[in-house]
Amino acid sequence: MSGTPVRAMVRSPFVLVVGVILTWFIAAFLVWPNINVLIATFFPDGSFSGRAAEKLFSSQRAMKALGNSFLLAVALSITVNAVGIFIVLVTYYFRIRGSRVLFLGYATTFIYGGIVLAAGYKFIYGDKGIVTSLLLQVFPSMDPAWFSGFFAVLVVMTFATTTNHMLFVANALKGVDYQTIEAAKNLGASTWTILRRIVLPMLKPTLFAVTILSFLTGLGALSAPQVLGGREFQTITPMILTFTNSPTSRDLAALLAVILGLATMVMLAVMARLEKGGTYFSVSKVSSELQKQDITNPVANVAVHAVAYLLFAVYTLPVVLIVLYSFADGAAIQTGQLSPGSLTLDNYVRVLTQPAGLRPFVVSVVYSALAAVIAVGGLLFVARLLQKYRNWVASVFEYLLHIPWILPSALLALGLIISYDHPNPLVGGAVLTGTTVILLIAFVTVKIPFTLRMLKASFASVNSSLEEAAAIMGAKTLYVFRRILLPLVLPAAAAITALNFNSLLDDYDTAIFLAHPLVQPLGLVIKANTDGAEGTEGVANTFVYTVLLMVITGVTMYLVYGRSGKRRSRKRLPEVPPASSIGAADVPPAGGTAASGADSKVPAAPVR
Amino acid sequence: MIRLDSIKVSFGDFTAIPHLDLHVRPGEFFTLLGPSGCGKTTALRTLAGFIQPAGGTVTVDGKDVTRLPSDKRQVGMVFQNYALFPSMSVWENIAFGLRVRKEKSADSDRMVRDIAHRVELSDEQLAKNVAELSGGQQQRVAVARALVLRPKILLLDEPLSNLDAKLRHQLRQQLKDLQSEFGITTVYVTHDQDEALAMSDRVAVFNKGVVEQVGTPQEIYDHAATEFVCNFIGDSSTLTPEFVAQVNAASGAQLSTRASSYLRVEKASLDAPAGGGAAVGLPGKVLSRTYHGLHSRYVVRSHGADIRLLVREDGGAHPEPGTETTVYVRPDHILQYHSETGAALQEQDRQDQAVALP
Repeated sequence: MSGTPVRAMVRSPFVLVVGVILTWFIAAFLVWPNINVLIATFFPDGSFSGRAAEKLFSSQRAMKALGNSFLLAVALSITVNAVGIFIVLVTYYFRIRGSRVLFLGYATTFIYGGIVLAAGYKFIYGDKGIVTSLLLQVFPSMDPAWFSGFFAVLVVMTFATTTNHMLFVANALKGVDYQTIEAAKNLGASTWTILRRIVLPMLKPTLFAVTILSFLTGLGALSAPQVLGGREFQTITPMILTFTNSPTSRDLAALLAVILGLATMVMLAVMARLEKGGTYFSVSKVSSELQKQDITNPVANVAVHAVAYLLFAVYTLPVVLIVLYSFADGAAIQTGQLSPGSLTLDNYVRVLTQPAGLRPFVVSVVYSALAAVIAVGGLLFVARLLQKYRNWVASVFEYLLHIPWILPSALLALGLIISYDHPNPLVGGAVLTGTTVILLIAFVTVKIPFTLRMLKASFASVNSSLEEAAAIMGAKTLYVFRRILLPLVLPAAAAITALNFNSLLDDYDTAIFLAHPLVQPLGLVIKANTDGAEGTEGVANTFVYTVLLMVITGVTMYLVYGRSGKRRSRKRLPEVPPASSIGAADVPPAGGTAASGADSKVPAAPVR
Repeated sequence: MIRLDSIKVSFGDFTAIPHLDLHVRPGEFFTLLGPSGCGKTTALRTLAGFIQPAGGTVTVDGKDVTRLPSDKRQVGMVFQNYALFPSMSVWENIAFGLRVRKEKSADSDRMVRDIAHRVELSDEQLAKNVAELSGGQQQRVAVARALVLRPKILLLDEPLSNLDAKLRHQLRQQLKDLQSEFGITTVYVTHDQDEALAMSDRVAVFNKGVVEQVGTPQEIYDHAATEFVCNFIGDSSTLTPEFVAQVNAASGAQLSTRASSYLRVEKASLDAPAGGGAAVGLPGKVLSRTYHGLHSRYVVRSHGADIRLLVREDGGAHPEPGTETTVYVRPDHILQYHSETGAALQEQDRQDQAVALP
């Protein structure tokens, strides 16, 4: 497998066609826009200029936003770890009463996030929020805007981004060999010592990785500071957005985006370094399954239970209230007071039957579905070729396709705006900025890295002798791809499409830069509603949208992860050969086997 | 030294060990042997304090430790996969227990280096990460980590099971040498009969949560107390009643023809024993011969019984399949078990059964 000569590779017409299309796409939408941002920042008139930097340093607002972003990033790294590690431990490590129920509460962030979550918190705790209205009746003197600024942004983002912990840290914890814990017990270590000296050190590489992800989330935060930050707490990305909208300050926006991009690249480089050097490979060949630990100290036990249920309340309250108030009438939403009589289906009827209510939903569904299908459909061929051919050309392509993963979406969006606001030969002389196509391109682009990695993994999990067997019987490349590989990879591809669709459905960060003014997706409408644009009806609509999104996301997650999760939770039997190799023995293998190999490692799907 | 009295272990509805009595003597290398799922690991984990028995007592050195947690029992344990802490160096692994006990760091260091020296780990290896060590070195780290706390008992849970055959043989010897050097009472769990016979002072053979026999390796091999032990340990041929009757007729022995009868493969022979002795020859036909280099395995059918036996490949002429031959058997080598209870028949039982024959 190592090293197919490049010359041999370009002899295949299949490779040539895919290669040409891919080169054009990468050049037009991944490389050129970002180079353009650099040019706009430093070479606005064809020669080097530091004017943008000067403007930035003299703008108090911009400098404050920069400072705030780094403050948020650092604070978020700490709070997310504190909450995230705690909830992972109480759901998977310690024996806590009702831990299954707790898990459901903590997992609510899997089904809603981003702008939807920020909006939900604002409608509940914000100055006109439901809980605030109720509290004001009890404490008339309290500040109605108590939930805003840095504090509110930090709280909301903390509880929104523990998803990473629930995915990756929980997974790492399950991989800890229980015999090491028993060994430590046998050597006299207490519960606390075992946790501190044995378990947490083994999770360290994963914790580093999620800390960096949290840092980057804080740094690039857009919706939470916009919705809840208020005037005094603004961060880089909202600032980029503001500067982008006026042509005179676009160079400032570009410079801020470059700074954000640089910080992201540095952090990701650090992460890659840590991943290489710091992973602890388990030395055991047979490991035993983790068993839950009792907290022996009764005081500590009660305290941990109390905090666990308190956090459960924090996680579930917004979801419960959103679902409840999605059935409420305007008066109930305004005052917070809910009576059984005020619960009706009117909100749902309005959203689903009136064009104004339904339109953003349809726009989002169409955009997400198109982008998800295009990304997976196109990358099926690319992933296959990258997995088959290993040489420097393939490596270069692979690195280039990861650009959207390295750069923040604000930078990518800005690049597209700047590059295609005038006729450009790369896209046949068309102007894309302000059209409906540009958002679709951005949606496809941001989903490339995740899709590519997942598809490559699922191609790699296909037994290579199947392909060789087909080739020996005279099948041609395309025929093998269509009849042998595609059916095997299809379940995984469908799962990836569904996950992509999900995460694009409530997108805000990309759409706010690029959406057509008359074709607004859901995220933008929800954001507009938080500003009070549509009054209580807008709030009610948002609740309905949120519930619908949660249902769609929940169902997708269940279809992708839920069922296979149950299969995997059974005790592993090492003697039994894996399902895929059994399938490989018969010529037409069962379709389901390929997916389980891929989705056992699906990372980052619901990460926002 | 160690006593398990009327131990009962259940997991929910499933009773893993209904009733277990065991006595391990000081300084002994004691092995729990049995097929997988027979309860031997459960017994060891009960002794270690990881499983709380539903009934019965565990006594160590005259002290009842049944309710004590694992670390208060003065038992050291080497786990199946060694359970070395991957986030720590070799030194830190060995020193872990000492640091938990809050020993002074100078003392800890001295004790760690001392034990490392005794299990032949170099100072250079102490600084390494556990993942950099070979399987054999990892085993020595695991043993050192257990022994540095000076336990009264060392528990070993199939420590050789995930190694390849050659290394397993080599480490088996190392482990035995370490044990005799330290003179520590050791309880060893394995499903490998070869390992059990070669290493142990005494062996307890487990089956379905019950101890079938406790004895020295030679006792359990030559005088397997039950049909299960006879089948589990060593290799034997099943004899037919006609064959046993022929042996009785030829030798005047009074073997029971109703009992289940077995003969170890190495106890049958195609050559008349040099000294004559008590062996009797019975006619048979060679069914097959498999060549193994050192020896050949024969299957000879005689009076309905397929007698398996070994013939040393010493260059002499040996019968080919299909030819008639004579199988020599000593009546006192025939192992007999009660066909219902599976218990070994004593001389008295044999006669009773023989008399009872119509």
